[in-house]
Amino acid sequence: MDGHGYFARTHTMIESGGKPQRFIFQDPQGRRWPRLRRVLAVWLLLVVAALVWFIWAILVRPELKLPRALRDMKGQLRAAIKSAAKAPGDRNALNWQKYYEQTPAAQERLARIRAQARKPKPQNGRIRLAFYVDWDPGSFASLEEHAAAITHVAPEWFTLDKTDSELTYDPDPKLATFAATRGISVMPLLDNLAGDEWQPEAVENLANGSADKRAAFIRELVGDVLRAKAGGVIINWEQVDPVYRDQYTALLQELADGLHDSGRELWFMIAIGEDFNTFDIEALADFVDRFVAVFYDENSDGDEPGPIAAKDWIEGWLGVIANFGDPEQWIGALGAYAFDWNTTRKKTETISFKDAMSRASYAGVDQSGDVTETAAPSYNAQFDFNDGDEEHTISFLDALSFYNARRLMLEAKFAGIGINRLGTEDPQIWDVLDARDATSKAAQKTLSALKATDTITHVGRGEIVSVDENRDDGSRVVSLDPGGWLSARYTRFPTYPILYHQGAGGDHEVAITFDDGPDPEWTPKILDILKTRGVKACFFLVGQNAEDYPGLVQRIVDEGHEIGNHTYTHANLALMSPFRMKLELNMTQRVIESITGRSITLFRPPYNADSTPGTIAELAPLKLAQDDLGYTVVLEKIDPQDWAQPGADEIVQRVKDLRSDGNIILLHDAGGDRSETVEALPRIIDYLEVRGDRIVPLSQLLNIPRDELMPLTQSGAQRVERMVAGTGFKLWHGIVELFWSFMIFATAVVVARTLLIAWLAKRHHHRAPAGIADPDNAAPVSVIIAAFNEGKVIGRTLRSVLDTDYTGAFELLVIDDGSHDDTVAEVECVAAADPRVRLLRQQNSGKSAALRLGLSQAEHDTIVFLDADTHFESGTLRALVRPLSNPLVGAVSGHARVGNLRTFVARCQSLEYICGFNLDRRAYTDWNCITVVPGAISAFRKSAIAAAGGLSHDTLAEDTDITLTLHRLGYRIEYAPDAVAWTEAPETFRTLAKQRFRWAFGTMQCLWKHRDLVFNPRFLALGWFSLPSVWFFQIALVALTPFVDAILLYSVLFGHATAIWFYLVIFFALDLFLASLACWMEGERLRQAFMIIPMRLAYRPLLAWVIWKSIFRALRGAIVGWGKLERTGTVGARGAADT
Amino acid sequence: MLKFESPNVVRFAAILVAALLSGCGKSGSASDPNSKLKIQNSKLALPTQGCYTGAYIDFGDTEDGVTLEGIEKFEQMVGKHQAIVASSSYWGEQTFPNANVRLITRHGSIPLIFWSPWDRPYVEGRGPDKYSLTSIIAGDHDAYIDRWADSARDFGQPMIVSFANEMNGSWFPWSGVLSGGDKQIPDTKPPKFDGPETFKKAWRHVVERVRARHATNVQWVLHLMNYSMPQEEWNLAAQYYPGSDYCDWLGFSLYGSQFPSDGKWAPFFPLFDWPYTELTLLDPTKPIMVCEWGVGELPDLGDKAEWIRDGFRVMKDAKFPRLKAIVFWHERWQNSDGEDAGKYSNLRVNSTPESLEAYRQGVADPFYLSHPVLEKIEPAP
Repeated sequence: MDGHGYFARTHTMIESGGKPQRFIFQDPQGRRWPRLRRVLAVWLLLVVAALVWFIWAILVRPELKLPRALRDMKGQLRAAIKSAAKAPGDRNALNWQKYYEQTPAAQERLARIRAQARKPKPQNGRIRLAFYVDWDPGSFASLEEHAAAITHVAPEWFTLDKTDSELTYDPDPKLATFAATRGISVMPLLDNLAGDEWQPEAVENLANGSADKRAAFIRELVGDVLRAKAGGVIINWEQVDPVYRDQYTALLQELADGLHDSGRELWFMIAIGEDFNTFDIEALADFVDRFVAVFYDENSDGDEPGPIAAKDWIEGWLGVIANFGDPEQWIGALGAYAFDWNTTRKKTETISFKDAMSRASYAGVDQSGDVTETAAPSYNAQFDFNDGDEEHTISFLDALSFYNARRLMLEAKFAGIGINRLGTEDPQIWDVLDARDATSKAAQKTLSALKATDTITHVGRGEIVSVDENRDDGSRVVSLDPGGWLSARYTRFPTYPILYHQGAGGDHEVAITFDDGPDPEWTPKILDILKTRGVKACFFLVGQNAEDYPGLVQRIVDEGHEIGNHTYTHANLALMSPFRMKLELNMTQRVIESITGRSITLFRPPYNADSTPGTIAELAPLKLAQDDLGYTVVLEKIDPQDWAQPGADEIVQRVKDLRSDGNIILLHDAGGDRSETVEALPRIIDYLEVRGDRIVPLSQLLNIPRDELMPLTQSGAQRVERMVAGTGFKLWHGIVELFWSFMIFATAVVVARTLLIAWLAKRHHHRAPAGIADPDNAAPVSVIIAAFNEGKVIGRTLRSVLDTDYTGAFELLVIDDGSHDDTVAEVECVAAADPRVRLLRQQNSGKSAALRLGLSQAEHDTIVFLDADTHFESGTLRALVRPLSNPLVGAVSGHARVGNLRTFVARCQSLEYICGFNLDRRAYTDWNCITVVPGAISAFRKSAIAAAGGLSHDTLAEDTDITLTLHRLGYRIEYAPDAVAWTEAPETFRTLAKQRFRWAFGTMQCLWKHRDLVFNPRFLALGWFSLPSVWFFQIALVALTPFVDAILLYSVLFGHATAIWFYLVIFFALDLFLASLACWMEGERLRQAFMIIPMRLAYRPLLAWVIWKSIFRALRGAIVGWGKLERTGTVGARGAADT
Repeated sequence: MLKFESPNVVRFAAILVAALLSGCGKSGSASDPNSKLKIQNSKLALPTQGCYTGAYIDFGDTEDGVTLEGIEKFEQMVGKHQAIVASSSYWGEQTFPNANVRLITRHGSIPLIFWSPWDRPYVEGRGPDKYSLTSIIAGDHDAYIDRWADSARDFGQPMIVSFANEMNGSWFPWSGVLSGGDKQIPDTKPPKFDGPETFKKAWRHVVERVRARHATNVQWVLHLMNYSMPQEEWNLAAQYYPGSDYCDWLGFSLYGSQFPSDGKWAPFFPLFDWPYTELTLLDPTKPIMVCEWGVGELPDLGDKAEWIRDGFRVMKDAKFPRLKAIVFWHERWQNSDGEDAGKYSNLRVNSTPESLEAYRQGVADPFYLSHPVLEKIEPAP
């Protein structure tokens, strides 16, 4: 704002009497504001209504049609016709007989062995060894629940691997800590299993290896056992060549010695079956502390379906074992799990008892007849069902088979039992263990109730899951067979919460998915690769990214890929309310609908998509997404963690390593530098193709058409909701786009203007003022000062004017506007000493009137206006009037500077005068487009003022008004940088705000009054440059500041922050550049230029507030208070300026 | 006035840059890794220097469970890419091993297929079954042969087929011994014998049918046992030779001791030298392939590592210039019969660290070629 109001310290306005000039913006009838208010209210109402509608449209649950295949999941499982099949008689039941032949020799040894000193003594109670895995949360849960019933736990910690017999040790601190606190002895397994392949060479080559190699191995193993605070180690070696049995014996002897020396035990697992003879049990019996006989896997992977551990099979083998060692040396490991034979695909799966129950229950296995039972002879249960067109047979071990097997162990006088494994067992085996007499009626009753629990069971294969949380108790009829064996007939299968798995596809079907996009940098690169390679993938989009980059979303769909929902803000489901989750999913849904015209039915939860839900709590969000919102949840098993940027090689290697675990690959196309992913992707595709895999979209894994997975939204219900939501998003998008476009425009304009001003000012600075006819102009001058209560300063002001080197004649008119202080005395005192001073007095009627009075009394044609608190230098007057020697010049702006630098506010203004007002004027002079000649110091041609119709009083800024009017009349307006006058600036924010409000309002009035000048071809520089500058930079931009700041704050909080700092620096640099330039031109210290930074920060809110206040005042239609004042203050001196 | 970054401008620039970059990258990333094998109507070229090396890699009971993981693991273990990967196609499966040949080819190897005419259960010593040589000659299986040939032709890449291998042994149902044996065919001079003659007829029948389906990408290797069983005149290689027009390669299996009950150790040189000479006499130019070679880990009998070292040394000897390919038999199995019941035969290269090291060092010799080189097939005259 550049209006150096004449009214800096006055608050009065005078209207020229009879012919009232309407005050600009005045609305005498007062209709504008009420009308405007009504319009605004209606608009506000509409906006709010639209907003509410929009939010409703977002919240309303999209009617997603679950694809048929998913709906049918339940119906897909059904009992096979042949479900009447009982567990067959066990084919393997008699193979123990082969080994029985060796018994005579064994019998002989028995006596000797029994006499051995080192016999394991029965501990307090019998051994209960529980097998444990760390990858199944159910395993730990079971351990916690039944810790009291367990004496030993066997985790899978040690592996002997590779040709050269590497020992790997992978302890589990959680288990170790728990076991220690519950007094359970940890007996880690040492097996020779790598992945799912036995490594016989690892054992053979160790046994055949050098003494050094063996000793090193034993040292390492014993060291690890001691460190782990384990009770010893359980050896489980399979598929090794019996040829080397003596060597094994020797090795194990050495190992046993090593362990015993450290007070640790060596346990040894004996596989029951064809490999029984692999190891020399008789020899081992001398030093192995316990043998763990494996009484399960009678039929397993690679076998036809059959009993897992038939009773007669166990009995037969017990007879064999009776010949080896002391029974007290033996532990019988019992099975507590189920096998699912997929006889169509020839695949077997070890599952839990509960999984078996859920599968039976959902397949509708007939319970009316006595079809599924744990009964003689095998006392194993079995049933068949179909999953689609694949046939399954499930054989399972339950609490009854457990009871029977355990009884056999007790009868064999074994030291205890093993339970394989924690987490897969029929929970009631623990009841059997606790019961004093499991055959009692009461115990039978307990065993007959199958209570549903919260345990999650799994049905089907694949990583596309759906949840069924229903649970239902089941029952079995338990009876006591002759001989005291427990049997059961299943009458009702219990149902546990189920996670249905789908999408396993064929062996060579694999899907690639990308999370977190779209991203403008990486998504296109990935799409290019996929396009080149002809691969279709699925993109799980983050809603806000989709909203930002609709073009990319469209491209993904256009290029045949699938899309899914990945929440709106990539939020963690575990940490949010159901409401928030619904909002996240619906907003994303609506955004994608509005972009693609398709709904999405797939959903992947952010974070941990590779961990299958293990607890019921983890199921809840999935269930909400599925049941409430209709989504299909897509997890994955192949997560190379590309987001962590392990390197492209590593990403490819991880995909290779994990490929056999699942068939959905997770990569990321956003969220950071994805160059490694982009580099790895073609190699992953190569690898998969070489491997013989077909990369298929998810719809193919689900065996449904793509259009069903991403149905078109054109048809069907909810058209209105979709339209509203879509329009809302588009509108919002439009607003954001508009905002950024505006920002770019504004930035460009500011830069351009800054450079132009700098250039013009620099040019002016270097050149002598143009067009001055007489550099020594000494025309007579009338200096006019209006004074109201200026007693303190007026004396100095007058003396500064009188103390001049001006050679021409001049008079000094002081108009006292009815001051109540000693102004008159001060002036008279000076006037007494200098005849050039004249005092005029009027009743208090405002400064404008005072000036007009002075103007009417002025004798000379050259008029200089001066504020009462503004001091001249000796050369000021001469410099100021010099340009008027050119008859074309109508007015001259002096060079106002701030004289009072006591406060921060004043110092700010000093700088503002230097690098804002004065620099602008300097720049504008050459093009004759100065917009305001400041009232504090200016020179006019009296005839020009007269031609302009005198000083107007319909605005608060006559200085601007008269300047613009003179422009209209074709006068030149000059700037005299040497005409320095020191003025007094407001010293507090409060007074500054008042002053600036008057300036702002006055400027707006003038701009409005002279709006026809803007873009007027007659006034090139003024109409196309300086006036639009005022409109844009001083009104529009300042008014928008609060919105910009709000968005800035939002941007800083939600990303983009770094780039903003970059722009901020550029902006301040520009400001600093201009300030430095100005300071240099005015001979100020350059250091002062740095004040520009705090000044900008302090001024921003102040100026914005002032502008808005002005706008509101203008809209409300004049100002009631001022209007009154204006109309009352009429004085006799009026009319002087009207002539 | 604060200025803002404009994400849209940045994004636009990023998209532009990305588009440019990806455009540049296309030629590189799009290059097909298998292009080196994509010459149509090509065959495995015979190296003037050196000999291709390959392996059968424990592909399971029916010898056709080929996996990339298995191949890569083996290659990593022995430190060399395989120019040839061998696997079987049993007639009882009634399929063409489509996935296997494609996988092997994409991996950059040449598939060697043992196309064995027998039926389930695949047990040795049972004598001729449904797919007997006579039934083949009678045309009973022409439909299958044609189907198989069509698939092979559609596959289109070079492959080597060993039909009815080790026919001069006594264990497979298609062996001469079990298909007529030494029964002399009346009025033949020099005498011809039923077993070998039946085999040759069947061989020619199969080859002719496959050729009739234009499966020109198939190269045929006549694959014998290094020593005939019985090693008698009527059962020698020459008796089984169907003629130069009917095969492209001459090959044999070469095994050292495999079973603990073998009782003695067979050194490498005689296992190789004699059959090599025997085969070179059948035809003056055809290349020789050791279609299978291997030995058990039997420390009581002999040193497997030494045997392997010896093998690699012998086979690169300049005395055997026509040897152009060798294929190691990498397998471990548990024996079920006789004295060896329950014991294992471990023919894997990694049965012991010493054996593995011997193999690694031996095969590392640049003489043993890791990648197939192809050449155009001469148009048939």
